[in-house]
Amino acid sequence: MEFLELLSPAFFLLAAAGSIIGIIFGAIPGMTATMAVAVCLPLTYTLGLQEGLALLLGLYVGGISGGLVPAVLLNIPGTPSSITTTFDGYPMAQRGEAERALKTCIVASLFGGFFSAVILFFFAPVLADFAIKFSYVEKFLMIFFAMSVIASLSKNILMGVFSGLIGVLLSLIGTYDVSNGGNGEYRLMMPFMEDYLAYGFSLLPVLIGLFGISTIIEEAEKGVTETSHENKVNLSKGKPFSFSIFKGQFGNLLRSSSIGTFIGMLPGIGGSAASILAYTQQKNLSKQPEKLGKGEPEGLVASESANNGLTGGALIPLLSLGIPGDSTTAVLIGAFTLQGLQVGPLFIGENIDTWYSMITGLMFANIIMFIVMFYAIRYIAKVVLIPKFVLYPIIVMMCAVGAYAINYGIMFDVWTLLIFGVAGWIFTKIGIEIAPLVIGFILGSAAEVYFVKSLESYGEYSILVTKSPIAMVLWGLIILSIVLSVMIHKKSKKQAQQESAS
Amino acid sequence: MSWFSSLNTVVIDFDQSHLFFPRIILTLIAVLGLVIVVTNARPVLRAIRSGRYQFFVKNADFFRLIATLALIPGYFWMMDFIGSVLPNMGLGFLLASIPFVFLMSMLYCHEKTRRNVTIIVANALLAPTFVWVVLYHFFLVSMP
Repeated sequence: MEFLELLSPAFFLLAAAGSIIGIIFGAIPGMTATMAVAVCLPLTYTLGLQEGLALLLGLYVGGISGGLVPAVLLNIPGTPSSITTTFDGYPMAQRGEAERALKTCIVASLFGGFFSAVILFFFAPVLADFAIKFSYVEKFLMIFFAMSVIASLSKNILMGVFSGLIGVLLSLIGTYDVSNGGNGEYRLMMPFMEDYLAYGFSLLPVLIGLFGISTIIEEAEKGVTETSHENKVNLSKGKPFSFSIFKGQFGNLLRSSSIGTFIGMLPGIGGSAASILAYTQQKNLSKQPEKLGKGEPEGLVASESANNGLTGGALIPLLSLGIPGDSTTAVLIGAFTLQGLQVGPLFIGENIDTWYSMITGLMFANIIMFIVMFYAIRYIAKVVLIPKFVLYPIIVMMCAVGAYAINYGIMFDVWTLLIFGVAGWIFTKIGIEIAPLVIGFILGSAAEVYFVKSLESYGEYSILVTKSPIAMVLWGLIILSIVLSVMIHKKSKKQAQQESAS
Repeated sequence: MSWFSSLNTVVIDFDQSHLFFPRIILTLIAVLGLVIVVTNARPVLRAIRSGRYQFFVKNADFFRLIATLALIPGYFWMMDFIGSVLPNMGLGFLLASIPFVFLMSMLYCHEKTRRNVTIIVANALLAPTFVWVVLYHFFLVSMP
């Protein structure tokens, strides 16, 4: 139990602080958990490893959970994954049962968070043990599989793959790193870029630009309109909450949390997929499906437990394979690297104490999230009233600090923010999808090394298929994910056609 | 089977190995881009002509958009400039952030009532100063 020595009071304090800041971010419509992590990054630079991790995990859990507040009160999902919470939460709030709805969501969130943390604890080491035996060929195929899953879940498969490839291309700009067995030559750039891009674009400024600055630009385009919600955040009236709501909901809780955790494990899929799937499942299995969507606590339970199930789920591929499960974990991978942590199959085995303290931090952040939200929901609800004109300049400012300090004072990293902020804003308009692009960017340079080194040492292309049984299984999974996605897309196209015909 | 083994064999020249993977990716992007253009050109062009697709959102606020796109680079440039005149004190950040936060708030604020302007001025002075004190002095985060 040596890891207990690593847990200082500061560890718990920071996990709690992270959780509270995260909740506030999540509760503000338009601000996501990803942004909470991005904005608070500079704080972690000088913190120790354990403390930094505690803060980051708190932000993650809080950010995902906070989204339920505006979903219930304003009918606006605070984070993409709380979209299904609006279906039943808002009707309940309109009936004057806002507090009851919020507290149902909070309890379901806690269950989902805990459930996924337990799965993470038991499953990640197993997966990592399995992945340790992977050679470069299997590692390349693993990345290939991750990319194929992301692409197949995009709105348009072709565009999804295209976006992923653009991400890979962006990651290759710079030097073919000698430390990875490269020859140290520049590629994909013009002479004038060499001073700035010798090591390529830094990961975190790219992510902060794509997720932070482009949101601000999008909002500016819409005119940064404020709507008054004063009257909607009054929680003092209505039917009170009681735990009897959860009578007969255990199956729902368990199923929805499992769906959330499982979807979280698949790389690159945002939380909305998890909560939508859990919600539809609940609707299919419910005894009173017609009531869902009109203000049934049952729907809230499904949506929120799946939503928080994501947190542990998305950490599984991150910690065991080094592949981020969603956009927030994509920023986390960057933050971990700053702390000198190399996530991947070796991570858990070599850093067993850090691993235990992470799980402790995750559990603790969930508990704090629950306590803060359950008992102080009336005050947290007021957060949705902070005007955007106060908030947005502060966000840009924090993004600039975060980017500048990442490599200890490189101004080009700040300009990277702007480049990718504008690019992200344009990308979404022309159909390039951000999620596959980001995953491609993160995994691109590793994919290159694995691919080129495999071919260099074996000298034949067929090794990519015939290297081992695992390689063949991975190919099977890759083909399966592509075939499935083509089928799903065809089906939904047919449905759309039928609907437009009728 | 000799044709197979000749297709299957790959020799990567180390001096040129930095271009091997980027070339594959570029080729894939070109091929896929072509497929996307060929399959989608017609419906997309039709949508643009009929006005169903528009680059900007409906009723876009061009003033706030363009001002934002000018203000952010201006802020970054000022930060760098002040930081080079007064180096190693984090003053580039502080002195550029105060006017930036003020201007951006004024830009985004629709109702410039006395109360709102007071909030904006207070926020513009306090928020950057707070961040500067906490991050630069306590957390030793590098700032321009």
